[in-house]
Amino acid sequence: MSLFKHAQFASRHPGIRLWWKSKELDFVTGPVCTSLFNTVRASSSLPDKKKELLDGGPDLQDFISGDLSDKNRWEEYKGNLKRQKGERLRLPPWLKTAIPIGKNYNKLKNTLRNLNLHTVCEEARCPNIGECWGGGEYATATATIMLMGDTCTRGCRFCSVKTARKPPPLDPNEPHNTAKAITEWGLDYVVLTSVDRDDISDGGAEHIAKTVTYLKEMSQKILVECLTPDFRGDLNAVERIALSGLDVYAHNVETVRELQRHVRDPRANFDQSLSVLKHAKKVKPSLLSKTSIMLGLGETDAQVYATMKEVREAAVDCLTLGQYMQPTKRHLKVDEYVSPEKFQHWENVGKELGFLYTASGPLVRSSYKAGEFFLKNLIEKRKLETQ
Amino acid sequence: KITIHFINQDGERTTTTATEGESLLDVVVNKNLDFSGFGACEGTLACSTCHLIFDENVFNKLEPLVDEELDMLDLAYGLTDTSRLGCQVFVQKGMDGMTVQVPQKVNDIRKAAELSWKQ
Repeated sequence: MSLFKHAQFASRHPGIRLWWKSKELDFVTGPVCTSLFNTVRASSSLPDKKKELLDGGPDLQDFISGDLSDKNRWEEYKGNLKRQKGERLRLPPWLKTAIPIGKNYNKLKNTLRNLNLHTVCEEARCPNIGECWGGGEYATATATIMLMGDTCTRGCRFCSVKTARKPPPLDPNEPHNTAKAITEWGLDYVVLTSVDRDDISDGGAEHIAKTVTYLKEMSQKILVECLTPDFRGDLNAVERIALSGLDVYAHNVETVRELQRHVRDPRANFDQSLSVLKHAKKVKPSLLSKTSIMLGLGETDAQVYATMKEVREAAVDCLTLGQYMQPTKRHLKVDEYVSPEKFQHWENVGKELGFLYTASGPLVRSSYKAGEFFLKNLIEKRKLETQ
Repeated sequence: KITIHFINQDGERTTTTATEGESLLDVVVNKNLDFSGFGACEGTLACSTCHLIFDENVFNKLEPLVDEELDMLDLAYGLTDTSRLGCQVFVQKGMDGMTVQVPQKVNDIRKAAELSWKQ
């Protein structure tokens, strides 16, 4: 390598003598040469299995082309997918995502900082951040804005959002500023989410509801989805938000009934979350309700099916299923990496059970492509109505 | 350097050394001990995931709890009379050789069935 560099250098500066080059050659013919021979001898004494791995494995070309493995499908993946005691699973190839870069991504990041807004995309380390912020194939950038700050009062074992006993007080200008910023962006579909604020009497419901109201005032055509906390079961808070003018009311049950205690903060539970979803629907039947569950935390198929059924019976319209990924070492280890085919199976089950739409995939999150799904369904529904 | 024995949710025992003044949460995190989902709130008394069970003689020598710790401890899974939150207990000389554990994992029906097939 260095010989080549010297040659380049020499050709650009023809006056310089290449005396050190010949020195280098001497060097090469000296000890390095013998050590090269030594390495050749050494590799021939490797065990056969290792030689096979070296011959059959990736070479320099694979690394340069960037396409290291076409073993992206579940059947070809040789790694472990179910966690054994004591080990930590490695990430299967279908979950590897590109590092987020690009104009759109950077623009969004700077805009958010200037407007003092927080996104759950950054706080919870979402793997889709590059895709959603980058705008995907339709160049429609989507971001999920996190209201009421970036610090939560609960510590769930799957979530990396900052936690504190007494987070900083709410910014009273936030509803107005957020609505203004989102309107300026010209987004078609926005998802508003928030942290849990058990330190506030109404859990922050008034704050969220005001943001929705301002948004709807400032922008005629925007569609708003709210992913809300459970307000410790306070149904008045749920009602306040449900009647604020939003289009989709979302609240995540996170996991199957049996694992609630293990996965979520003890202040949250399955029945409380279901009651939130039921009440929102009761108070405004034209609302679309949505929930989400994570797979890969140790649940069984029967438990997932039972959960989906219970959720459907609570009149929830939309369901999303995604793969749990361990955000930091202080959080639960992944118990199983569910294959893309299995996710497809759950999508079919969701359709059978009667959900308006079921978004299911390893990287699917609650608000992933939410706008596209919603708009697609709405357009199709309108088509059927006008026919 | 103080030696502490840890028993994790699967019943596995690990021995490690800690420095005086560190919290037990710091020990678990810094030494990368195999505890799943330990210290989710990073020691801010907003969760109960660093719940540890002590031997009675060690428990009695610990600093008394503050109200905030008690609030969170009450919500902890598998609470015992000698339980404390690991983020509030700081390593001292008198703890050399003590054993702390987390509540053992609840064996669900699947695991029991698996074990019976193996036998």
